[in-house]
Amino acid sequence: MGGTESIENKLKDAVKDLFLKKKVDIVIGFEKGSLPLTSRPCFIRSSDMAERLVWNASCTNNLAVYLPRFFQKVPRAKKSGTPPPVVGIVAKGCDARSVVGLIKEKQILKENVVIIGMSCQGVIDRRKIESFIDGSFIAGGRQEPGGILEITTGVGDKKKIKVSDVLAESCIECQYPHVENADVRIDGESITASDDGYKAIKAFEEKSPEERWQYFTDEISRCIRCYACRQACPNCYCKVCFAEQTLPRWIGPGDELSDVMIYHIGRIFHQAGRCVECNACVRACPVGIDLRLFTRKLCMDVKELFGYIPGLSIEELPPLLRFELNDNNDFITTG
Amino acid sequence: MLKKADINKFIAAVMNNGYKVFGPVKQEDGVSLSELKTTDDISFDYFNFILPPKRHFFPWSELLYKYKDKTIHEAPLPEDKTILLGIRPCDARSFSFLDNVFIDDKAVDPYYQNRRDNTIVISLACNQPLPSCFCTSVGGTPAGKEGTDILAYDTGDSLFFEECSERGSSFLKLYSKFFSTPDQADVQAVKDFIAKAEKQVLSVNIKNAAEKLKEKFYDSVWDKLSFRCLSCGVCTFFCPTCYCFGLYDERDRRIRVHDACMYKGFTLEASGHNPRPTQSERMRQRIMHKFLYTVENFGKIFCVGCGRCVTACPVNMDIRENIVEVIG
Ligand code: SF4
Ligand code: SF4
Ligand code: SF4
Ligand code: SF4
Repeated sequence: MGGTESIENKLKDAVKDLFLKKKVDIVIGFEKGSLPLTSRPCFIRSSDMAERLVWNASCTNNLAVYLPRFFQKVPRAKKSGTPPPVVGIVAKGCDARSVVGLIKEKQILKENVVIIGMSCQGVIDRRKIESFIDGSFIAGGRQEPGGILEITTGVGDKKKIKVSDVLAESCIECQYPHVENADVRIDGESITASDDGYKAIKAFEEKSPEERWQYFTDEISRCIRCYACRQACPNCYCKVCFAEQTLPRWIGPGDELSDVMIYHIGRIFHQAGRCVECNACVRACPVGIDLRLFTRKLCMDVKELFGYIPGLSIEELPPLLRFELNDNNDFITTG
Repeated sequence: MLKKADINKFIAAVMNNGYKVFGPVKQEDGVSLSELKTTDDISFDYFNFILPPKRHFFPWSELLYKYKDKTIHEAPLPEDKTILLGIRPCDARSFSFLDNVFIDDKAVDPYYQNRRDNTIVISLACNQPLPSCFCTSVGGTPAGKEGTDILAYDTGDSLFFEECSERGSSFLKLYSKFFSTPDQADVQAVKDFIAKAEKQVLSVNIKNAAEKLKEKFYDSVWDKLSFRCLSCGVCTFFCPTCYCFGLYDERDRRIRVHDACMYKGFTLEASGHNPRPTQSERMRQRIMHKFLYTVENFGKIFCVGCGRCVTACPVNMDIRENIVEVIG
């Protein structure tokens, strides 16, 4: 009843239907992962493959990250002029906003994307689960109806944990769980939109500049500069990232803290009015740096200054792509 | 045998003799391999370190020389006497692999070699393998001795120390007053321990992987396999045996920094041509290098089965499945 399992079946049926009606060439969705309680991206190319699809609280990735590659010229493709495929994408609220962002930034073709809008109940944060099982690890696990996770710990204990107790922060704070621009809609229970007024950010803003700088420094000094945060983000589709550009070279490649900081400041500012707060960067970061705090702050600023929210309407252009004479410019300080 | 309650005394004595001791230290986000400031920092409550320990011999970013007054000033060789404590056997094994690369007959990396020579590795056998572990499929075991000087077994209240190299035995002799002779029960405890741990490790069938991979260079399997990959490089950064680096000239110095074949820029040529333009060729390189090229060059599969790439990959590319998918 309204559990993720019946949503999963509805999803499978809908995807099969899309293939049978020849409305898609490929669908990006989730399949079961290789570790306990994980799901991972998969690419469905025919209706019989749809059985592989899963839908549960471990479907964490933002699948929109894969979309641009269907519309770029593939270096090894011999034939040019083959039209791009029609790509279906299983999307949570945040993922769908990424898709809309990519359409607006002209990285993908609107006509060639079919958004399969899921009712989202939020996704889990594995680190939170690990803290629930006292330093043990997740040796087995599955999701039961009613939003309950049944976990087997490393020492063989069985534990029941509510999904709602281990939701990712991004889901707790999610303002737009509902997929606005769905082409196909898979209905079911969903999380209620949060309206916390950016509590965490406001609390962070209350701190002194020294404290904020210290926090930033502490977090960033753990970075190993693998760039996984960038690779996992649908917004980071640049062919050459400023961090790796060599003519000119903007930042040194080594472990100097200032270089690492500039990478992050650059990445964070490039997300202003674009970040959909999906948490993909945070999840990808192998050392667990909370990068979303910073991008979220910029999105809050853009909302307050320009009244713009990324990825909601396909028509409205983002502030970084448009100019108006009466644009807010309070932040420019003179003399 | 060393009583856990006495470990502080042992470590303190080692520190007094001028050793820097790096060991398992409890931190906010788990136990990490860090320098012990006091002997109280140590915690045996961990499975494995998040980051691979290769950084101790082959740092992420390393100064090679500086240019000043039209002369080159080479970076001084590292001389610190160091103990690495609590290294898991898979990771210890990776040191012996890195030795193949950096201490070769034809070329020796003096920075690496000095660090290796000045370091005593005390590894700790695994009593609790993780779902991502597969050391036994690639030639290791939860109580493996390769690459380590001393192997410790955690038997509850005590640590059982086993000498694994000459350096290890002469080191332990200096501290013999801290140790007691194990009795029959202790020896049995260790045996049980190994048997239990070994049983828990997942086994993957990669028999004759190298032979089979030879046929697969032009196979279409790579495209299919790699499509999910984001080319983020985490798997290589987290791999204890990956050793690729790039050299960079900055204003007044030359440094070397870890690099990875999973990056698009790894093979980008100055002309703009890239012989490995998609993640398909990059994935092929990573798997071929580990399971074929190093077998040809060093007679070893360059994977110790620590499973870090499996857990750290943001899209759950699982090398255990990948290799099986390729070799069929
Ligand atoms: S910056 Fe992070 S949270 Fe924002 S869209 Fe990119 S991956 Fe998602
Ligand atoms: S993913 Fe984490 S460690 Fe990697 S570059 Fe980003 S912040 Fe740094
Ligand atoms: S797998 Fe790649 S990064 Fe690792 S050592 Fe081989 S070529 Fe280098
Ligand atoms: S960690 Fe995963 S996504 Fe990243 S490069 Fe490795 S295989 Fe690809």
